[in-house]
Amino acid sequence: MSKPAIGQSLPRKEDHRFLTGQGRYLDDIVVPGALHAHFVRSPHAHARILAIHTEAAARAPGVVRVVTGRDLAQWTTSLRMAPPIQGLHPVEMTTLPIDKVRFIGDPVACIVATDRYLAEDAAELIAVEYEELAAVTDMTRALAPGVALVDELLASNLISHQTFSAGDPARRFAEAPVVVEAEFHQHRQTHAPIETRGCCAQWDEGRRHLTMHVGNQVPHPYRTQLARRLRLSESQVTVVSPDIGGGFGQKIALYREELTVAALSRALKRPVRWREDRNENLLASCHAREDSVRTRAAVDTEGRILALELKIIEDFGAYCFYPANYVARVVALIVSGPYRISNYASDVKSVLTNKCGYGPMRAPMGMVSWVMEGTIEAIARRLGRDAIEVRRINMLSRSELPYRMATGEVLEDITVRETFETALEAFDIARFRERQRADRERGIHRGLGICNVVESTTYGSAFFKAAGIPGSGYEAAWVKVEPSGAVNASTGLMASGQGYETTFAQVVADALGVAPEDVRLTIGNTDTAPYGMGSRGARGGTAGGGALMLAGQALREKVLSIAAALLGLNSSGELRLARGQVERRLGGEWTGTGLSLADIAQVAYLDPLRLPSGMEPGLEAHKAYDPPPMTYSNSTHLCEAVVHTATGRITLERYLVVEDCGTVYNPMIVAGQQHGAIAMGISGVLLEEIVYDGSGQNRSGSFADYMLATAVEIPSIEIISQHTPNRRNPTGSKGMSEGGVMGAIGSVMSAVNDALSPFGVVADRQPLAPDYIRSLLRGKA
Amino acid sequence: MSEVQTVPVTLRVNGEEKRILVEPRKLLSDTLREDCHLTGTHVGCEHGVCGACTVLVDGRPMRSCLLYAVQMAGRAITTIEGVSSDGQLTPVQQALHEAHGLQCGFCTPGIVLTMEAWLAENPAPSEAEIRDALSGNLCRCTGYHNIVVAIAEAAARLRQAKAGE
Repeated sequence: MSKPAIGQSLPRKEDHRFLTGQGRYLDDIVVPGALHAHFVRSPHAHARILAIHTEAAARAPGVVRVVTGRDLAQWTTSLRMAPPIQGLHPVEMTTLPIDKVRFIGDPVACIVATDRYLAEDAAELIAVEYEELAAVTDMTRALAPGVALVDELLASNLISHQTFSAGDPARRFAEAPVVVEAEFHQHRQTHAPIETRGCCAQWDEGRRHLTMHVGNQVPHPYRTQLARRLRLSESQVTVVSPDIGGGFGQKIALYREELTVAALSRALKRPVRWREDRNENLLASCHAREDSVRTRAAVDTEGRILALELKIIEDFGAYCFYPANYVARVVALIVSGPYRISNYASDVKSVLTNKCGYGPMRAPMGMVSWVMEGTIEAIARRLGRDAIEVRRINMLSRSELPYRMATGEVLEDITVRETFETALEAFDIARFRERQRADRERGIHRGLGICNVVESTTYGSAFFKAAGIPGSGYEAAWVKVEPSGAVNASTGLMASGQGYETTFAQVVADALGVAPEDVRLTIGNTDTAPYGMGSRGARGGTAGGGALMLAGQALREKVLSIAAALLGLNSSGELRLARGQVERRLGGEWTGTGLSLADIAQVAYLDPLRLPSGMEPGLEAHKAYDPPPMTYSNSTHLCEAVVHTATGRITLERYLVVEDCGTVYNPMIVAGQQHGAIAMGISGVLLEEIVYDGSGQNRSGSFADYMLATAVEIPSIEIISQHTPNRRNPTGSKGMSEGGVMGAIGSVMSAVNDALSPFGVVADRQPLAPDYIRSLLRGKA
Repeated sequence: MSEVQTVPVTLRVNGEEKRILVEPRKLLSDTLREDCHLTGTHVGCEHGVCGACTVLVDGRPMRSCLLYAVQMAGRAITTIEGVSSDGQLTPVQQALHEAHGLQCGFCTPGIVLTMEAWLAENPAPSEAEIRDALSGNLCRCTGYHNIVVAIAEAAARLRQAKAGE
């Protein structure tokens, strides 16, 4: 039989159009007669809107309409975020603000004109009268008594607060010989896809139907939201997602601008389009990652963790597009990662501030591995022990699996000791330590960073139910063989660079028994793709791949049943489909039957009376797959950094990762996902930062201020694959693509702290900018 | 406010003359996309940092978001649509494909054009030199690793092809 398609590094089907400039991103879609929307945004972090004067703008050249929050309130419903979660306060927001603005960049009016330049010209003619209010720009101070309220319907800025305890942590802390405390402060960042947000709404008055072109990772849930908020049925809305120039979590929510554009298209009965510029994207799309964590660990004298306590506070910004506990809670849920901790307590707070709203960014829980590994390193420092040994003492062995964490999460098919030991050996730690010692004498401060990652990739419906969060984790797929034998497939996922058209063709190819080049995947159109939960987290491979595998297998069964009938056999047991040909096992050998998939398809569609009695005509299968509560993959990241003590600059000289993400559909594409995730983690730790000043002014409004890592800052990345299949799903996949962010955050912090260790200082906040490193070393180096 | 007047300009894009009417303030990037219908030139930041909109002007890479169309009279512009003269992928494009040097593809046209011009002048670059030359193009997906591999491979193939001429 031909080699399975799964596991081959097939080059991508997507590439040709992207390499030749023929991709179809949002702004490449030509819609004749489309008007252009531009938003007028608040220059204040917190202010009452007293009046908006739009008359002059409405008379400007090319302007068709100017609207404000009051207009939108007639055409759309508010977003109410009120899941039944204990300690989470319900909130509601109108489509555009009416009474007050809550952050710099909050949209207060929308101008629709015949072209984008004219719409922007007219923006200068809009006068908004504001009454400035005190701005809340610091999440700790946001909780002080008497401080201004970001949402005046709430009693405080504490939007969400939950506590949890398992075992008897209080007693362990009382008894423990040593208690070690550590802090971890992560700064505000943003997704920064190179393609900014945008949409094009086309209302068809004759059919009373809206077509919404929008680069979105979750087309069906997006359609549900959009239809509901426009008071339309889901039959009246089609969401079409074109090629997406990067998402990273930013392109999930239905944004206020997009809803405004859709409502305007309906009101004006004309197509309306919008594309934000980079400044808007940095100021007003969504932000992520601003968290402070404190841990306390009760340990014995060898470093064995007897109990752990975690307190996290997250700055959720001004508006809730997601439940405010949503990300911080996951950090608290999985913090113990690969370690054995049975007594545990957590305290999880989320706070509203006058900053751009929060959105999950590739590895929303990304700091979690740094928190756990950093806690272990703090224990090792305190006890004067080797942090590698302290990790070993606490790390789960395979014989302890499945392991139920104190929080109830179950780790099953993970190989944390294996990736850890392989990584240490491959890196040659002993030799590194020699080099480190010799270099220190020469004034070169080199450090080795270690981070073990247990990545929560795929959330099944049972996870949401258990966590008390409304949500569904299934994914759906269909596979069809057309009358000619051509194979089409679809799923509810939507790609933004992951290469689904290639990898999922490989999955369908093996499930059905055809060549991957003969499978075409079409996604991103809610009229043709099945309703699924879309692409977020690292669920695509496991949830989507699982659904496609099941659909392909179901269809293969039907094909073989038809083949058996045509060949006059009682059963299809000794038949298979291989590269589109039906083969029969005779005397242990597979031999051709002369029947091809095209022959079977001809009968199924065009000569259905020859089908086995009772079988329905056609060749298609639709399957939905709901994965187990949580699927985990794991990896170990090692990073070598040099800290230039005179300047505070950090350079990364080596990066090694050992990963187990289960069955890999396409190793080349998975490696690409690892590179990208690691780069995003490194870029965030070293360079990126959304900076708000004390008045709530955002000082990171361009790529000259918000710095993304270039090819110079990111090192070459060595990958050792050590995959073992997952036993709980149809393909054996464990999922991946966020663990790289987690591992990079943890390993770079660890490496820098190792380099800084001779100076007796610890970096516990990011970004590791030169001025911060120098502030640690001042008077010491 | 008065209407903004348009002016005629003749652009030479990918070897073809195009006579169009544009406002003097219209960016070359917008003009290529909207008036010439060449949407392979992508706009990522509109302030000259990300490099996605890079085109070749008289063979040299330039940010089309920092140029006005009216400045381009008499200049030869090459966009991603015109980078290959024979309909086949160029060695740079082919190497990016084989090494998985692109994911979402949005930054890719700018990288292809930057590297086409740079490799012509730097036929035997080191990895560090490639990284330095690439640092004017932001990519959020790939971590640059496979782009660097691809450019090194493309350079080797171009050298080989030249040696065989």
